[in-house]
Amino acid sequence: MYQYIFRRILVFIPMLFALTIIVFALLKAAPGDPYSKILDPDLDPSVLEEAREAKGYNDPIPVQYFRWLSMAAQGDFGESIRYVGRDVSELILSRLPNTLYLGVFSLFVTLIVAIPIGIYSARNPYSPLDYFATGFGFFGLAVPNFFFGLVAIYLFAIQLGWFPSQGYISVSNSGGFGGFLDRLHHLVLPGLTLGLASTASYMRYMRSEVLTVLGSDYIRTARAKGLTERTVLYKHTLRNALIPIITLFGFEFGAIVSGAVITEGVFTFPGIGMLLLESIGNRDYPVIMALTLMFGLFILVGNLIADILYSIVDPRIRYD
Amino acid sequence: MKKRKAWLSFLAFLFIFGILTACGNNEEADSDEQSDEGESQEESILVGVMDTAPTGQFNPIFYEEAYEANILSFTHESLLTQNKKLEFEPLLAESWEFNEDHSSVTFKLRQDVYWHDGEQFTADDVVFTYKSIADPDYIKAGGVRTSYVTKLVGYEEYNSGETDEFPGVVAEDDFTVTFNFKEPNVIALADASFPIIPEHIFKDIPVIDMPSADESLLPNKVIGTGPYKFTQMIEGQEYHLTKNENYWQGEPQIEKVVWKVVNQDIILSLLEKGEIDFVADPNGFQAADYDKVDSMDHVKIIEQMDFGYQILGFIHNFRTEEDMENGVINPDNFVPNEKLADKRVRQAIAYAINRPYLIKGLLHDRGQVINSPIAKQFEYFDGENPEQYEFNPEKAKQLLDEAGYVDTNGDGFREDPNGNEWVLNMAYPKGNVIREKSAPIIEEMLEEVGININLLQPLDMSAYVEQLTNNTEWDLYLLGWSLSTTDPDPSGLWTAADAYNFGRWNNPEADALVQKAITPPNAFDSEFRKQVYSDWQVMFQDDLPALILYVKNTLYAYNTRLKGVNPSPASFLNDVHKWYLESEE
Repeated sequence: MYQYIFRRILVFIPMLFALTIIVFALLKAAPGDPYSKILDPDLDPSVLEEAREAKGYNDPIPVQYFRWLSMAAQGDFGESIRYVGRDVSELILSRLPNTLYLGVFSLFVTLIVAIPIGIYSARNPYSPLDYFATGFGFFGLAVPNFFFGLVAIYLFAIQLGWFPSQGYISVSNSGGFGGFLDRLHHLVLPGLTLGLASTASYMRYMRSEVLTVLGSDYIRTARAKGLTERTVLYKHTLRNALIPIITLFGFEFGAIVSGAVITEGVFTFPGIGMLLLESIGNRDYPVIMALTLMFGLFILVGNLIADILYSIVDPRIRYD
Repeated sequence: MKKRKAWLSFLAFLFIFGILTACGNNEEADSDEQSDEGESQEESILVGVMDTAPTGQFNPIFYEEAYEANILSFTHESLLTQNKKLEFEPLLAESWEFNEDHSSVTFKLRQDVYWHDGEQFTADDVVFTYKSIADPDYIKAGGVRTSYVTKLVGYEEYNSGETDEFPGVVAEDDFTVTFNFKEPNVIALADASFPIIPEHIFKDIPVIDMPSADESLLPNKVIGTGPYKFTQMIEGQEYHLTKNENYWQGEPQIEKVVWKVVNQDIILSLLEKGEIDFVADPNGFQAADYDKVDSMDHVKIIEQMDFGYQILGFIHNFRTEEDMENGVINPDNFVPNEKLADKRVRQAIAYAINRPYLIKGLLHDRGQVINSPIAKQFEYFDGENPEQYEFNPEKAKQLLDEAGYVDTNGDGFREDPNGNEWVLNMAYPKGNVIREKSAPIIEEMLEEVGININLLQPLDMSAYVEQLTNNTEWDLYLLGWSLSTTDPDPSGLWTAADAYNFGRWNNPEADALVQKAITPPNAFDSEFRKQVYSDWQVMFQDDLPALILYVKNTLYAYNTRLKGVNPSPASFLNDVHKWYLESEE
């Protein structure tokens, strides 16, 4: 097992390496650079040319790549172009906690809501709650995030005043347990907005998986043995039904750090998603490269965790 | 056994949350005021809003975007300011005097100005600010404002590192400073009105490290002379300014100004609810929302012309492949664009476009047509003599017929005088929704008079500008320009060798006029300058390097409890130290 994990981690290195080459090449192939968007009649374009020269953007692309690579290998991702004077690592780290907060909260809500309802629906198909859950599932998948977010803000923040409409923290937050609650308070609306679609899809998956497993031969055997319904459900059904959910979870884990562009935008939640969007629009090369590397790493780690979870959930799966 | 696992995973979640909380709190630790809780009762707080977060660079010599400017307008000041007629007026400088040929100007500074940390403001600060911009490392550090120093004496020598002396800006004594220009300078006052940064704060920080220094980024570390201090920030969400009690023009009445970053779609709901007090620079609110805002009882609207315009540019010439490769703009090598070479064709296009219709349909009438590339706010704007191009499709058709562009094969589109197919490629960028919507409408208007338009897919701005710079096949392009508020000089945009003259308009006569208007000594006579610019505007409208489509009106809205609002032609944030809140009963 440990050997397996170690081997997997070793495989990460060439994959990440290939990823950076591809992203770097694509970035350089796209027209424009961090300075081409600056159109200011007060500004002599030769200044921008000088800035390009100083940043080395006029060098051959392989030279630029290896310069980036050797710095990145030493943990230096350079300075952002748009965020003048800001270190890329510092910039990303300042945004990452917000994104993790939001992602973990919404994933938590998703799992807590989706799994029990999915199981209930499967055990009581065509019951009123099942119909309701199915209806909710379609609603959740059909309603665009930004629209749900805006409606939620209008109803719960502006009309009812239950939750803050924007931001991730209060000015008066002084830490401690009160500070934690304040952050949770700010998380409710964006967290639910972000979790809506995935709750709906997890619920649908869970329902159909449990239904399939419940109809299989070994469940009939288990029941015939005289096992209690409880044991059948938790010991025999759930374990098997969870496998596809874990696959989804593996991807979701990577998605947590990549942030939620739309939700963050609607709630002015300064996270990684917004940063990525801005950086791409502004061709902020150093930020894009660092973010891509981070996303790649997290997706790989997420899938590794999913693989490990498989073997815990399903003893038939063994890695050696 | 199983129960324990479930509990463990639950604990793990709590643990992750706990760690995040702990991390999160460190950032906010540098707030110096923890006692704001029941705030609105005791303190007077004004809340402003912007739809995009500032990047966080609060050093005037390094910031680049309008969102930071919203904060710097409260915290930093220049030697001079501009009044409503755009004339220069004293601010940190009390008075000034030019030498005989206008190549140098000496400012007497106010002696009662102190920085936020209590140090006195002196001529050394002025020298330091300009020296920093002229520094050899300035561009490398990320600065772009060198146009303020390149005209000063000794810039090249200082910038190349040859010498430590910078004779361009000299402190005569503590409160007298002289700017020495290489040549007589018509826009000397504009060049001298850059916001000043404190020498005592930055003197030990090399220019290359300046943008990343705490003194350029963090609340309470950013020091200016302005009416408000930058005291607190939740990055990306809120920026707090607290009044400067020792402000030299008198203590401001409003204790705190809070900038909130709010999604554009809910700004108006918050304004209506009274949770925010004003929405202003840089974007204001949308024309489509005018009636909605107008119906709010406690909200007042200010509508004024934007400093800039949207254009439909005509590609007059292309650069050669070789020049593009070398990054050279040499008008002598320009290759004419035959498809638009006939002036009558460009004029026909100008007549064929119904600009009032665009303004009515897309801007809800919150805009106007202008027929000169000089901002209407300047006295140099000529609204009479240049051709006005009132919408007239018949005239457009007639001009095209005269020029020999007629439909010879009956497909509904005109062919060129040689009977060949004639298709104009029209390009436009993404980013400005109104401009994006205008493109297909313009296409339709031009096809109405028989011009075959190939409307290209919109590109994002970075890609668009690069292709426009190295254009080989576009004929028409849409773009917007924001103009300088300090001087109407159109060079930079419209003379042959300018990088931003994307149409590569090459009219030596017009270029000569632009030069004449800023050549001393006549250029100091504003009547003379006015006449030269008038001639140039007439020439512009006749030769048409571009058709100016419209100027939109900027719409500001504010809660009527805010009094003393007095916007300048360029910004809502004017005389902010005179703002006050109507006391609530």
